[in-house]
Amino acid sequence: MKNRLKKFGVNVYIMEYAINSLLRQKYKSLFITIVLTALIFLLASIFFITNSIKYELQSTVDSLPEIIVQKIKAGRHYDIDTNDIDNILEISGVSSAVARVWGYYYFENAGVNFTIVGIDEFEQQYKNTLARIAETLDFSNTSSMVLGAGVKKSMNKSYYKEYFNFIKPDGTLKRVYISGVFHGDTELESNDMIVMSKSSAREIFDMDESKATDIVVKVANVDEIQTVASKIKFLYPESRIITKNDLKISYQNIFDYKSGVFLALFVVSLFTFFIIIYDKASGLSSEEKREIGILKAIGWRVDDVLKEKFYEGFIISLFAYLLGIVLALAFVYIFKAPLLQNIFTGYSQLKTSFELPFVLDIQTLALIFFLTIPIYIAATIIPSWRSSTLEADEVIK
Amino acid sequence: MLLLFVEGIYIQSTKSLESETLDSKVAFVNLTGLPDLAISTEATYVRHRSVSDLFSIYKDDGTLREYFPSTYVYTYSHLMNKKSLDEK
Repeated sequence: MKNRLKKFGVNVYIMEYAINSLLRQKYKSLFITIVLTALIFLLASIFFITNSIKYELQSTVDSLPEIIVQKIKAGRHYDIDTNDIDNILEISGVSSAVARVWGYYYFENAGVNFTIVGIDEFEQQYKNTLARIAETLDFSNTSSMVLGAGVKKSMNKSYYKEYFNFIKPDGTLKRVYISGVFHGDTELESNDMIVMSKSSAREIFDMDESKATDIVVKVANVDEIQTVASKIKFLYPESRIITKNDLKISYQNIFDYKSGVFLALFVVSLFTFFIIIYDKASGLSSEEKREIGILKAIGWRVDDVLKEKFYEGFIISLFAYLLGIVLALAFVYIFKAPLLQNIFTGYSQLKTSFELPFVLDIQTLALIFFLTIPIYIAATIIPSWRSSTLEADEVIK
Repeated sequence: MLLLFVEGIYIQSTKSLESETLDSKVAFVNLTGLPDLAISTEATYVRHRSVSDLFSIYKDDGTLREYFPSTYVYTYSHLMNKKSLDEK
């Protein structure tokens, strides 16, 4: 082992001395390790969560529609005319255009928001998909719906086990039977979703047959999407057009360094780091200075002293880094980030189980590594360099 | 080091996205065609942030300031009403 270390240019005796020196200052080393570990743990946890959310988003982005056409009136989103479909279909390159009905329903009893999506229930293609991703399908009732796991839970709490009474805008009730629940696999996407027939959704939203929430346009050739989008824009200048590319861009910048939590996080970590570095750089204690003086007096060169200090800093920071990453991995993926997940869910009453997909991102690990370890090592070496360049007798005095 | 290795393998084998799970996720997104995750559902412009824009909050009230804590984490979708088309 010693020989092997020597091959890498590691001076084993100085290393031994560094470890002993760390053990001699037990409490100080322990304290610094705890603070560094906590800092790395916090940074790593937040990065792991954001990475996994991004990964989850990006793994499904390709199945989203190519173009979404919304109508904007007076700066607000309005229902779009289904007649517009005919005009859009005339644009060359468009393979299909479908009117969608979807929106939000606020369930006051539980204080939660549901997303209701209307589909053409009797199309075979949808039935096959539903059979694959949801349990206990029973479409025998004329109006039935498939729920996300979270919706089912909050309905159960209000004793709606077989059906749910939606309150329509005119005050009357619309009873829709529960015919299935989406699998847990899709929870991150489907937790707040209710999928029902278009006609039922229209009834709940009090939406006319000639209206729709938005229009989804399919374009066969990927290169034509942008041209088709600008043609639709030309046709309906008041509309807002979102292409798949836009969605991809939107997914990419979901976590912006301008957004509050990251700014706060970095300010806090920088501040913590600043304290550690200030403490280190403000000069060594007289005891440490004397130690360096004695080492020099018994024949250590300046670079030996610096090497010893480097090993000290490296051992502590590498240990803290590894420990911080191990803790963060367990915290985020095994314990599902208690407390920290509240930052990401906010006030929402309808909570997912926060089962995030694991993705190994070397970049993040490297980022955290280079953010913490070199700075800490520099903070240990620089002050010792200052005292080790002085004459030995001057330091001991 | 060993602990990290063992934990890494454990998490990799149990928590990573399997192709079967991925398939059902893709099928679901295909079914609804709606973007974004259901992690935060407190406001429409947070739940479906990609189909909303910076001005979506004005739907509620023109003088409203953002008060939902999750907008502290997620930024708006950066897709302005016209800009995204003109830029290309």
